[in-house]
Amino acid sequence: MIRVDHLTKRYGTVTAIDGLSFEVGPGRVTGFLGPNGAGKTTTLRILLGLAAPDGGTATINGARYRDLPHPARTVGAALENDCFHPGRSAIEHLRVMTTAAGIPRSRIAQVLGMTGLTEARHRQVGGFSLGMRQRLTLAAALLGDPGVLIMDEPLNGLDPDGIRWMRDLLRQLAGEGRTVLVSSHLLAEAAQTVDDVVVINHGRLAAQGPVAQLAAATSTTRIRTPDTARLISALARDGIAAHLAEADTVEVRGADPDRVARIAAAGGVVVLELSRHTDNLEDLFFDLTSPRTGDRTLEVSPS
Amino acid sequence: MTAIARLTRAELRKLATTPAFLITLAIAVALNVIAVVVDAAVAGKNGTPPLGTTASTDQMLKLGAVCCVAMLVLGIVAAGGEYRHRTIVPAMLITPRRAAMVAAKTLALLIGGVVVSGLTFGLGLATVVIELSAHGFDQLPPSTGRLFADTVIAATLFGLIGVALGYITRSTVAAVVGAIGWVLFVELAILHTVAPQLAKWLITGAATALTDPTAHGPGTLAPGAAITVLGAYTLLLLAAATQLVQRRDVA
Repeated sequence: MIRVDHLTKRYGTVTAIDGLSFEVGPGRVTGFLGPNGAGKTTTLRILLGLAAPDGGTATINGARYRDLPHPARTVGAALENDCFHPGRSAIEHLRVMTTAAGIPRSRIAQVLGMTGLTEARHRQVGGFSLGMRQRLTLAAALLGDPGVLIMDEPLNGLDPDGIRWMRDLLRQLAGEGRTVLVSSHLLAEAAQTVDDVVVINHGRLAAQGPVAQLAAATSTTRIRTPDTARLISALARDGIAAHLAEADTVEVRGADPDRVARIAAAGGVVVLELSRHTDNLEDLFFDLTSPRTGDRTLEVSPS
Repeated sequence: MTAIARLTRAELRKLATTPAFLITLAIAVALNVIAVVVDAAVAGKNGTPPLGTTASTDQMLKLGAVCCVAMLVLGIVAAGGEYRHRTIVPAMLITPRRAAMVAAKTLALLIGGVVVSGLTFGLGLATVVIELSAHGFDQLPPSTGRLFADTVIAATLFGLIGVALGYITRSTVAAVVGAIGWVLFVELAILHTVAPQLAKWLITGAATALTDPTAHGPGTLAPGAAITVLGAYTLLLLAAATQLVQRRDVA
């Protein structure tokens, strides 16, 4: 379980993270999304003890990273794909890590096999492609067979086969009951990988919850009717904000279409057409992080 | 195995699996061997002392400067290189208690320093013996053993100073330029000339007392005092480095 509670981080006069709180549970792949500069990487660095917060806490299984008894066996972190000495071979890099962390050597062959690097294990990392470095970063993260995986942009540099492989692996790891937190700016790819999302914007939480339910909560219902004014009034009486999208069309965001239809019927409003438009992850992201959204936070719980 | 022993083993593995270690060792050995061969070749010419004299042998035994510079560079590369190659990130993820990470690096360079400076001085000394015996001389100064030990101590401490500078600057280039600038300009060019009584209490002055067989007199510390002074500077710099490593965020 990852828990971030009122986390704050400032760099001079710039507040990179502003009272951010969220939780990530086991058994699911959680996407950590936000525009550039939203504070994703800073949050992950604080979570992993690489940066100190100015306020709040970030814990993994109830403890700060530095207080975990066996950090490398508890958390697998893949933050950057250029954390290797170019003159060292892949297997030597992993040997250094197993030696330092007290992890059995036998894990090296296993993670090299899992990440498809067995053949390249004796090659110097300086000659690796971006995709191979990404795989080696993941191999290093998996060395301790950790229950929690934290990855910053793991899809970067991967070709389509690599992206599919990474997606399957992440789902497999989550399926084994691990907690998987993945930051990404590749929304279309993330949409196919993640179960839940945590969306941040300007260092603050913009949304959290299962993708499907967040999309439903931000869906738009469009009602074509000759009685637009009556419909808007009827909806308003039931506490639903609606607006005129076109001369004969009323638009409602986030409301259950069934409820909208019943209100219209009860109010004697003639409905010519009622349709629902559900956001995909990309639409949802832009909706939640656009300037007009302001500081609104959308949180839904798994049903 | 204790955590610090594991970490030290990992640091030694890092040293052994990067080109810097072998390249530094090879260059240092080559420089010392070449220096001895050249000293032997020019001995007795152009007013230099003839081969076999104490002065000539002492000149050939000035092997410590190369040992110290080699270890300084190796220490800087070992610590500063972690930032240059970003390997500081996995290192800190495995060892979030950063003081232990610095301690392990220090212990590894302590061991590596003994090996590198021992080999560098030892092979230079072997070359001196070969040159002397080739010319019919078989006597080394009685203080050679002490010089060997003092050089290994001084060079190893220079390696640890390099570690501290690497962590403090987080840049191999800045640390090397800064260290060489300090030694050449501040200590040797300015203080050694302007205030020799002060210079002997500084890093290079203390190292000279340990590694230069011709250094004697009031401008030079006794070996025991020199080791204490150099050790104090090393501890001071390592303490500063540890504090900074613990306090700084990793960008």
